Amino acid sequence: MTRLPPEIRPALESGTPGVMVTCSAAGKPNTTVISQVYYVDETHAALSFQFFSKTIQNVRENPRAFVCVFDIPGRAYWVLQLEFQRSETEGPIFDAMDMQIEAIASMTGMSGIFKLRAADVYRVLSVERLQYPPWTDSSSDADASSSG
Amino acid sequence: MDFIACDIVIPGKIIRFLEQYANVAFAGTCDRALVPFGHRVCGWRVGADQRTMTVLFPDEFTRRFLESLQQSGELAVTVEEFPSHETYQFKGHYLLQRAVLDGDVEIVERIRRRFVKSMRPIVPDRPEDVLKAFVPPPALAVEFEVSEIFLQTPGPGAGTRLIPPIEK
Repeated sequence: MTRLPPEIRPALESGTPGVMVTCSAAGKPNTTVISQVYYVDETHAALSFQFFSKTIQNVRENPRAFVCVFDIPGRAYWVLQLEFQRSETEGPIFDAMDMQIEAIASMTGMSGIFKLRAADVYRVLSVERLQYPPWTDSSSDADASSSG
Repeated sequence: MDFIACDIVIPGKIIRFLEQYANVAFAGTCDRALVPFGHRVCGWRVGADQRTMTVLFPDEFTRRFLESLQQSGELAVTVEEFPSHETYQFKGHYLLQRAVLDGDVEIVERIRRRFVKSMRPIVPDRPEDVLKAFVPPPALAVEFEVSEIFLQTPGPGAGTRLIPPIEK
């Protein structure tokens, strides 16, 4: 059974938006920015259902989801493969996510726009931390030489 | 694959957004088993005919993404201006992949500058190199034919299909 490592929690709780990819039963992908990935327990994460109706439709047709969470200070991102399990509109997970959404909305000037409609709970199928290279002068040189 | 003949043109307003304001993007696809897969994008450009887009990828971890893309032929790309959150999603059919051209590198340089400038007020103490590293040099270009554009800016209109317009 795949478990979320403790090291992922700062990235989940940073307030940095993540990205979610789903796929319809007909094989059409959908990509959306998500404001929150909530740590439920070692084997489950919850995503906020606010307005992205195509995403919701897709995971009801095909429960698989791909989520990417960014750790910009750590020059890394976390890649999760998830499987939709259930949607909650009340209870401790919903209440905790609702409070976090309010905080994120307040910080980003989106108060009154971000509104949690449901907390969608997913089982974690895989999790991976991918490190990307540091910015160096050679990164800049590579750009310059490529651009001729 | 069946293509429906339609007259999809990316509107000038959205092209201006892509060329002058947007600073973050992500691409998604899925394989033949309907497993979704995503990859970050470091740049984008609209074709001269306004019907195609080219997305630019850094060289990390592209293998599985390309395998999935070539199986399904379908691509979705979300492009956002952070921190305003103005966001559009472009969906379409994979056309080709190619090596990076000179102009692609310049596009990514401009996007990197916009990204760093937009983040600076939010994280004033973060080292510039950390922010620059988030938009790495491009290593691969993927061109696709745009078939649909959706508004994804948070709010009541999020998810609305803009192109082709929904018939009322």
